[in-house]
Amino acid sequence: MVKRRTAGYTLLEVVVAMAVFGIFLMILGVLTVEMRAQEKRMPVNFLRHPQIVVVISKLRRDVQDAFSANPYPEVFREYSQSPKMLIVQSVQESGGVQTIVWDFRTSGEVHRHAYNVGVSTDWTARGLPADFSNSIEVDAVGIPGRPWGVRVTARDGEGRIAIDQILQPRAHQ
Amino acid sequence: MRREKGFSLIEVLAALLILTLVITMSLAAFVERSKRLRQASETILAYQALANEAEYRRRIDFAALDTAQPQFISDTSLLAPLQPFATVVSVRQTQPGVKDVSMTVRWNNGLREAKLALVRVDTGGTNLW
Repeated sequence: MVKRRTAGYTLLEVVVAMAVFGIFLMILGVLTVEMRAQEKRMPVNFLRHPQIVVVISKLRRDVQDAFSANPYPEVFREYSQSPKMLIVQSVQESGGVQTIVWDFRTSGEVHRHAYNVGVSTDWTARGLPADFSNSIEVDAVGIPGRPWGVRVTARDGEGRIAIDQILQPRAHQ
Repeated sequence: MRREKGFSLIEVLAALLILTLVITMSLAAFVERSKRLRQASETILAYQALANEAEYRRRIDFAALDTAQPQFISDTSLLAPLQPFATVVSVRQTQPGVKDVSMTVRWNNGLREAKLALVRVDTGGTNLW
């Protein structure tokens, strides 16, 4: 008696296995293409990064508490206003006014220097995404007849706007 | 003895059924997660635009609120990924000296929307707030 087969797979088995594998590959391919299309459409969600949320929150509070005839002095000490630097005079809890410098010049870091009667208090956020740090800009924005606010914009690595927030001083009495 | 090793048809079918269920559920969870992440990102963009518009609407004269344009005044280029989208601003006087300003962004053919409402009070003097 001739033994026809002792090991291996039949053609039918191989075809079925390949068909099943092909279906999985197709599903994975479709999902990958869909995800890629989604990534290309939507900007990076910087506001999911805890450090960025803290930076924006602190900045918002400083601008909302901006106070004085000129809350955004052009120059303070060695600092000057620019898209990478914001100088704002802000009310503090004691009722006095402090000068705050927001420095976005260093990649991956944001520095906040608060000057109060010659004494400075520094706060630094580290580990920020490089594309956020390189793209964030702070510009004074004017609404006719109103106090000037600050517009914060940041773009992701592809140049898409991810953050665009207008912060306005609130009334103080 | 008819068979000494290997799996019966029932065993193979049961294994395939379990494998199919696991893969289907995993894929469903993955797709749902992606969808929710996208929706969250869209909502964050929409609420940034709404907050910016609110800053403008806070500063329009109380008397001029009704006649201001019914679309967003602020820059909406942030909303480009949601295109096509629509912005609507409606003003309703709820009682003398009080107006509700309702701002809405609609996208995904109107299936999704984000809203922000602002209450303006006629202070009689400054229109700062």
